[in-house]
Amino acid sequence: MSGRIMRLSAMLQSGEISSRELTQSYISRIERLNPTVNAVVHTTFDEALKNADYADRLIREGRATALTGIPMLLKDNICTDGLPTTCCSKILQGFKPYYDATVWQKLRAQGAVLLGKANMDEFAMGSASETSVYGAPRNPVDITRVAGGSSGGSAAAVMADMAVYALGSDTGGSIRQPASFCGVTGLKPTYGAVSRYGLIAYGSSLDQIGPLAASAGDCSIVFKAICGKDERDQTSYYEEKAAAFDVKNLTVGVPEEFFSEGVDDEVKEAIEAAVCLIESAGAKVKRVKIPAFKVALPLYYIISCAEASSNLGRYDGIRYGYRAEDYGDIDDMIVKTRSQGFGEEVKRRIMLGTYVLSSGYFDAYYKKACLLRGRIIREFAEVFSGCDVLFTPTAPTTAFPLGEKRADSTKTYYADVCTVPASIAGLPAISVPCALGKGGLPIGLQIIADRGCDGLALSCADFIERQISVQVKVCREASL
Amino acid sequence: MAITSKELQTLARLAKLEFSEEELEKFRGGFEEMISFCDGINSEIEGDTSSIREVDSREIEWEDLREDCVEESLPNEKILSNVQGERGYFAVKRAVK
Repeated sequence: MSGRIMRLSAMLQSGEISSRELTQSYISRIERLNPTVNAVVHTTFDEALKNADYADRLIREGRATALTGIPMLLKDNICTDGLPTTCCSKILQGFKPYYDATVWQKLRAQGAVLLGKANMDEFAMGSASETSVYGAPRNPVDITRVAGGSSGGSAAAVMADMAVYALGSDTGGSIRQPASFCGVTGLKPTYGAVSRYGLIAYGSSLDQIGPLAASAGDCSIVFKAICGKDERDQTSYYEEKAAAFDVKNLTVGVPEEFFSEGVDDEVKEAIEAAVCLIESAGAKVKRVKIPAFKVALPLYYIISCAEASSNLGRYDGIRYGYRAEDYGDIDDMIVKTRSQGFGEEVKRRIMLGTYVLSSGYFDAYYKKACLLRGRIIREFAEVFSGCDVLFTPTAPTTAFPLGEKRADSTKTYYADVCTVPASIAGLPAISVPCALGKGGLPIGLQIIADRGCDGLALSCADFIERQISVQVKVCREASL
Repeated sequence: MAITSKELQTLARLAKLEFSEEELEKFRGGFEEMISFCDGINSEIEGDTSSIREVDSREIEWEDLREDCVEESLPNEKILSNVQGERGYFAVKRAVK
């Protein structure tokens, strides 16, 4: 799987294959596999062929980059001018934005080829992509299991080679956890590293766009293409801290709280094996503590739901998306539109957000969560004064069976326990496959770095990939 | 933590959502479980927090703001392409009699 982008880019630039031919082969693959995997919810094949012809022209004119002519997918919450963007929600059915997200503008200018929009949890709220109005994507490693969430379609598509890479968004683990479940590599960049202009907002102090790909090398190419300051997103400010990777000068922290009760033994063993491996290669290993870890999960749900309840206030049926048919006055129209248009999990989170922001409970929940957020940030900062990166599990388990946790939201929330701390602190974190558990299901190693040290996290993940060759097998294609 | 139907209806009104009595009963159990889950943070900081300022993850660099320039807005017909429009406006049922 490694280095798919560079390999295909070399073939494109040598003329061995054209982008149109490559695109057509990916279109055929999506047509064949998607009925089973359900990773793509809107195909944009006409657009893809136009993008491919533009890419072929860039290649002929000697203006190509590594991403020119490479077929890819965007998560269904990233706006594309004139192409469907629905957040996998009934309330945005038929919505075609009138502008491009900055990330897509940047990639399109380089000649990227957009095959379609990837499946996801409705408004990115979930950990299994089962809240999608289009039904859940299936994990290509075992189609009876979830692909993770919320960027489950992006991860499943990359694993099944229905796209060379995909962009996802990560609020509390939505890139890393599905990457771990599907056996691909996924980077949540430093908060602010990538512009969110055109990303449909969920939790604005947490949301970040990032790549899912077959390797850390591929993620690095995509990340470099999309990062940077954008005046249309005031939180974007990226300045990468230069950090040359030398394993012999590397200090790896292992925070003990991430190995607590609830994390499967096979996951703990796989991460410890990766720690031993990097130690034997010359890195120094330090056992560290992040005591505020224990409050990270409820804190995350308080802050993200509070922000979601505000962000999702804009869906009123007046300016775009679904509108209820039978209603009395305008207020009634808004209430009916929202009640019919949002799914159960979204309504639950809007209600929770409204509750924690309401006057009687603001101090008890939202304010305390903001204070504790500061504590988590400080604890990470202390740890990074003596470590370069942290090694932790990405998810406490491997991919669970479809439908297993659908009825029990709070159980599903636990799937994010290892990923939310880095989100709360705005740190870059990457999930890289490091072992196979029972049933050949992939286990992801999460590498967390200090703010702005995305490059170091990527180099470290690349090192691990070269040392541990995890041969994740896709379900026999005949059964897909 | 027990939540009454009245409290849930008040929240729904604030959130511009509506639930039938039947839906509300179904919703209540899951919602109470979510509140208990969020109560996990209450054990950490005891006492009155009213005098403590929230800590943001990043200081805003005010000198970094973009120029406030007037730019051409999106074309009217494009904006209205997603929804029912009338004579260049968003159309809803008559609100003022």
